[in-house]
Amino acid sequence: MRLFKNSYSFEYPWDQVTAANWKKYPNEVSTHVIAVDVLKRELIDNGQKLVSERLITVKQGVPKWIMMAMGGTNVSYVREVSVVDLANRSLTLRSCNMSYSNILKVYETVKYNPHPEDPVNKTLFEQEAQITAYGAFTKICNKMEEWSVQRFHDNALKGKKGFDSVLEVFDKHWVQREKYVDDLGNSIVGKVADTVEDIKTTAEEMLKETEMKSNSILTRHYDSIKNAFKRNENM
Amino acid sequence: MGNVMSASFAPECTDLKKEYDSCFNEWYSEKFLKGKSVENECSKQWYAYTACVDTHLTRQGIKSALDEARKEAPFEDGGAIKDQE
Repeated sequence: MRLFKNSYSFEYPWDQVTAANWKKYPNEVSTHVIAVDVLKRELIDNGQKLVSERLITVKQGVPKWIMMAMGGTNVSYVREVSVVDLANRSLTLRSCNMSYSNILKVYETVKYNPHPEDPVNKTLFEQEAQITAYGAFTKICNKMEEWSVQRFHDNALKGKKGFDSVLEVFDKHWVQREKYVDDLGNSIVGKVADTVEDIKTTAEEMLKETEMKSNSILTRHYDSIKNAFKRNENM
Repeated sequence: MGNVMSASFAPECTDLKKEYDSCFNEWYSEKFLKGKSVENECSKQWYAYTACVDTHLTRQGIKSALDEARKEAPFEDGGAIKDQE
C-alpha cells in the first residue's frame, strides 16, 4: 500500500468552490469523464449536512487492441461519496474505483475547507490517495504502486490548474448571479422565470467557452492504470 | 452536446438527470448554502431520475459492483472505508 498526498489553495471562497464541484463535468479537456450520476442523496442534521453518492463513468483513450487483450470494455466506473458540512465548512469527497478493483484499488479522499490563513477568500484543497495492488500481480505490486504514485504526482499539478479555470468561470457567473438576485428584489414575480433562464444561458455559454479540467486522481488515471497492466504483462 | 450538465451513464436517463440537476444546482446555491433549507426540494425530479437510474444499473450489470463498494465504504459513514487494516 502506498500513500499519495497533496495540497494547495484556491483563490475562491469555500461556498463557491463547493457549488462549482457539482458542475465540473462535462468539460472540454476531461473528455474521459462521459457521465456523472447521483445515486443517493440525503440532507441530514437539520439541513446542515448534504451527503451524496455519485457514479462517475470514465471512458479511456486506450487503443482497442489493449482492451481486447485485457478482455474488458473501455468504460470504467468510480463511486464517490461526498459530504458537505455547513457547520464545519467542509466538503469531503471519498472515491474508489469499481472497475479493475481486484487488481488495483485507489481510495481517494479530497477535502475542501476555508483556508486557515484567509477563510473568507481562499479554499484549502487536500488530497490523499491510498493505492494498493493485488492478486496475481503480487511480484510486481511494489513496482506498480511506486509507478502509480509517481504518475499521480506528475498529474496532480495539471489537475489543480484545471479546477482553477473552472472556478474562474464560475466566479464570473457567481458575481453576475448576485447582481441578478439584487435586480430581482425590485422586479415583479412574473420576471423570475425569464431572469433565471438568462442566468442559466449566460453561465452555460461562459462554461462552454472555457477549457475546463478535472482534478480527480481516479478519473484522470485510468489510462495510466491500464497502461501499467499492459507493461506488467510484458515483464 | 451543447448542455453544460453532464450526461447519465444510461442515455435513457439523461433528460431526467438534467431536469434534476438544474433544480438541484439552484437549490444548492440559493437555499442549502444559505442555510435556508431543511429538505431537498427537488423530490419530484429526483424520483423520476433515480427510478430510471436504478433500472439501468441492474440492466447494465453495474449493480453488483456497486453493492460491493457500498459494503466496503458505506454511505452512512460518508464513504469511509470500513475494515481498514
